Amino acid sequence: MALQDYRAMMERCSTCAGCKFIPFDKIKSLRFAENCPSIGYYNFMTYSARGRFQLSQSLLDGRAQLDDTVTEAIHTCTSCGYCDVGCKVTRYNLEPLEHNIELKAYAVENGKVLEGQKPVIENLKKEHSMIPGAKKANRTDWAKELNLKDLFKDKAEVAFFAGCKYSYDPKLQKMAQSAVKLLQSAGVDLGYLGAADNCCAGRAHQMGFFNEFKERAEANIKAFETAGVKIIVTPCSDCYHAFKRQYAKLGLNIKVLHVVEYVDQLIQEGKIKFTKEVPLTVTYHDPCHLGRLGEDYVPWDGKEKKIYNQIQIWEPRRPRYNGAYGIYDAPRNILKAIPGIKLVEMERIREYSWCCGAGAGCNESNPEFSAWTASERITEANATGADALVTACPWCKDNFVNAVDENGNKIEVLDIIELVRQAI
Amino acid sequence: MAFPREIYQALEDIVGKRNISENIGICETYRSIPSQSSAHYGPSEHWTPLPQAVVLPGSTEEVQNVIRICNKYGIEFKASTTFWATMGYIGSDFAIQIDTRRMKSVKIDAKNMCAVVEPFAIAATVQAEVMKYGLNINIPGVGCSSSTLANFSSWIAFGPNSISMGQGSENVLGMEWVLPNGEVLRTGSLGAGEGWFCGEGPGPSLRGILRGIFGAAGSLGVCTKMAVRLHPWPGPADFPTYGTVPAYKADFGPNFKCYTLCFPTWEAWARSVQYFHESDVAYSGHRQFNMFGRNLKGAMLNIITDADKQLSDLEELVNDPYIQKENEKMKLDYQVIIAGFSERDMEYKEKAIDYILEQTGGWKSEMMLEKDKHDYALLYLTRLGHKNLNFVMCGAYEGTFGLSSNVWKTIQVVEEAVALKRKWEVEHDSIAATGGDSAMGSLSGIGGGGATGWEFFTNFDAYDKNSVHGTAKFVDGNQEFHNKYSFGPDFCRWNSDVRHMNGYNYTQEEHNQMFANAPQPWVYAYQYKIREAINPKNLCGTYFRTVDPKCLEK
Ligand SMILES: Cc1cc2nc3c(=O)[nH]c(=O)nc-3n(C[C@H](O)[C@H](O)[C@H](O)COP(=O)(O)OP(=O)(O)OC[C@H]3O[C@@H](n4cnc5c(N)ncnc54)[C@H](O)[C@@H]3O)c2cc1C
Ligand code: SF4
Ligand code: SF4
Repeated sequence: MALQDYRAMMERCSTCAGCKFIPFDKIKSLRFAENCPSIGYYNFMTYSARGRFQLSQSLLDGRAQLDDTVTEAIHTCTSCGYCDVGCKVTRYNLEPLEHNIELKAYAVENGKVLEGQKPVIENLKKEHSMIPGAKKANRTDWAKELNLKDLFKDKAEVAFFAGCKYSYDPKLQKMAQSAVKLLQSAGVDLGYLGAADNCCAGRAHQMGFFNEFKERAEANIKAFETAGVKIIVTPCSDCYHAFKRQYAKLGLNIKVLHVVEYVDQLIQEGKIKFTKEVPLTVTYHDPCHLGRLGEDYVPWDGKEKKIYNQIQIWEPRRPRYNGAYGIYDAPRNILKAIPGIKLVEMERIREYSWCCGAGAGCNESNPEFSAWTASERITEANATGADALVTACPWCKDNFVNAVDENGNKIEVLDIIELVRQAI
Repeated sequence: MAFPREIYQALEDIVGKRNISENIGICETYRSIPSQSSAHYGPSEHWTPLPQAVVLPGSTEEVQNVIRICNKYGIEFKASTTFWATMGYIGSDFAIQIDTRRMKSVKIDAKNMCAVVEPFAIAATVQAEVMKYGLNINIPGVGCSSSTLANFSSWIAFGPNSISMGQGSENVLGMEWVLPNGEVLRTGSLGAGEGWFCGEGPGPSLRGILRGIFGAAGSLGVCTKMAVRLHPWPGPADFPTYGTVPAYKADFGPNFKCYTLCFPTWEAWARSVQYFHESDVAYSGHRQFNMFGRNLKGAMLNIITDADKQLSDLEELVNDPYIQKENEKMKLDYQVIIAGFSERDMEYKEKAIDYILEQTGGWKSEMMLEKDKHDYALLYLTRLGHKNLNFVMCGAYEGTFGLSSNVWKTIQVVEEAVALKRKWEVEHDSIAATGGDSAMGSLSGIGGGGATGWEFFTNFDAYDKNSVHGTAKFVDGNQEFHNKYSFGPDFCRWNSDVRHMNGYNYTQEEHNQMFANAPQPWVYAYQYKIREAINPKNLCGTYFRTVDPKCLEK
């Protein structure tokens, strides 16, 4: 679709503020009532999903221009998708997130990108990684000692896909190694793409760089298919979303699991057993791309139709991505199964979770905004009294590790796999 | 007109670089557009004017300094909070928009049962905070996404709870206003340095001037803080919600019940309402779900209470025999919530309802007592968190007819209004065909009871210009009905005398002409004097209806 195709949505948005607050029924306090990091930080209406709808109209009608301020506003959206959930609490015919990303693509098409985005995209094109400075030649270094099967030389049911962050970040590599060892010890027949392992480019899609995304996605789909992969398992939430939702749209027909889903299943099957106590009170952060953006892709080809004169419906019935069926229970099941762990919840959870701030490359392009967004979450985590904040995404973890709350306090940040490994 | 540099610099010096913008793209997002249709102008294609700048002050002092600059240079300004309603937007080209988003604190004085709120504290957050103290606030029918202060300072603010808690003017205590001349005025007990607890004094009692019954819609300066009355809440400290998004529900325990009461005739309906007005039994009372229309409400209720359903299921549900039967039984209905402060109190209230039904031949809707529907309706009406469902069917709607009056008067004409709307639905395709009767609103628009506050939901598509124009014609036609009964303007034209259809303000000359011949023109002359006293440069738009007294003296 092109930006123009969202015109009806732009004109039917009712300025209701649902895209700026957690679902109103769920509000428990003034402090943690809001959602949308973008308007939360920048404050102008423009930065909310509603503002973006209105900005698009003005751009298309030639009133607003893609100047520096507007370009900045368009790109400082983490594509966290909360606005989509909030909007769809009452509306069935608006797609704010899709539109936000389309607006970014419109800016990109017109050559309007942020300085901080350039090295990320350049590295994607050159080295097939969205981590500036990362070299293709070093991509699989993390896996050297692991006895992982190269699926172009050997056969295995399951392909482990670490993603750029786990592959290159020296602080995070051991987490990917832990995940592999965990699955191997549970008897999973595991391999990886070896030299064909490349960035999923999901973040490029969420940044509006559609061509760069498509090029990578098509190459990766081909690699998975050639290697005869039956299941892709990834510990990265961004990769998970890319495969499950964006690649599926392009024709990927392979089962995709996040490592938490797999581990939850293995615990239930008795293939992972806990032997040690981990005496810790923890709170869990739902990564946006695993939670509300982690729903299954359902193909749809239809159009709008009006009934009873003016009531707008989709024909046929259109799949409704509103976060209802994201991956929320698997990580919680794991935490509850670990002896000694006490799980306490934050106020903004599950489909209305607050974003970590690293989404859509904002950690690279707008570090202050990204850090503020993370800090908001640390404040919320500390308000629960938990000893540690647990997550299931390397981007979230990395953004949280460096963040402090509004009082300058930190919190220990753990990857869920670390906890599992500690308990066995 | 380009904004002179010295003005922009002066404003930037007050609020800081981060909190002001004159970028056209940014300012474009501060214009009201047709889909913000429940604005009481009728459907139109206008966008309100483009502000010269948007300013986000963070304190009373900053507001005051911004207004002083506006005075110095003769700039129109208008404060707004959530920007849901068109009345919060500017109406001329040489104007700035004040976005109060940065001011959102809530301070609770549980002992004196009041809370001091800032403009951007939306009702959901105020309610969430006060519930922790066993207290509640009146959330007007617009819903909890809107600002408590904007509602109570500047509009009527009636809704489901008004029957037990009153409307806006009944809930305002001490206030702090920055007047359009730049002075700070503290009203009620606050003005005498005695705290926030009383609206009338000791200290200046200006409630009637600054808001009256209707509210001045932002035309008398900026209210920066307001104390609001809190009311007893016998429910949980936070809502125990359950269910899958978007069909959230909650069970508040045995001392809460939400009934949909139904009646065989409008006469029986009215008598039952009168019983509620006289008995103090209802915590909330609203004819809510009829906003989906007499023919569609049963089916719509089955959609919104089920996370897996959507509008594409509507036709099938409308034809479902069970829903048809239940829908028919709910034809003349409304919802009430009873809340027991003790077991005996609850027993009494249950008995009172049974008595009312016995006396009027009414019944409780069984479908609405199914647990998921009950718990949905209870949460819906208590938090009013799904108010954007107002727009769900077509993306835009206007409240038409109105019929906010004594209930006995209302019921004499309601079916005539129903027939008029139904005729339009059948003969034209501009508005959604929902069954004629789509009257929704409070059981009482004022505390204790007395007058219903109704509107007929008229749904149209803001994207489809034929729908917009056709709806406007429908509303124009309704005016004859209103004239016949001397009801004044149609509900959806209430504000058409304070802003042109093109989004711009009226001039004083135009207002002089309009109001000199109005019934009771001296009211507008009195308002002119008020405006002269506190807003001599007429800087906040033309929502405050005035006539120059000289025009009446002639
Ligand atoms: C869909 C819809 C349904 C509605 N239903 C009802 C209803 O059932 N009952 C009812 O009573 N009303 C109803 N209204 C009207 C509504 O209550 C008012 O529009 C309300 O004030 C909106 O709140 P808001 O937070 O969006 O305020 P805004 O739109 O921000 O402001 C509302 C008005 O208050 C003024 N204002 C805002 N902040 C200040 C301030 N700090 N100082 C002085 N003036 C200020 C603005 O200029 C504007 O004129 C409805 C409106 C809409 C759009
Ligand atoms: S995707 Fe997230 S950051 Fe972007 S507008 Fe929506 S809620 Fe805000
Ligand atoms: S929640 Fe949806 S309808 Fe409401 S303002 Fe946001 S985008 Fe518009």
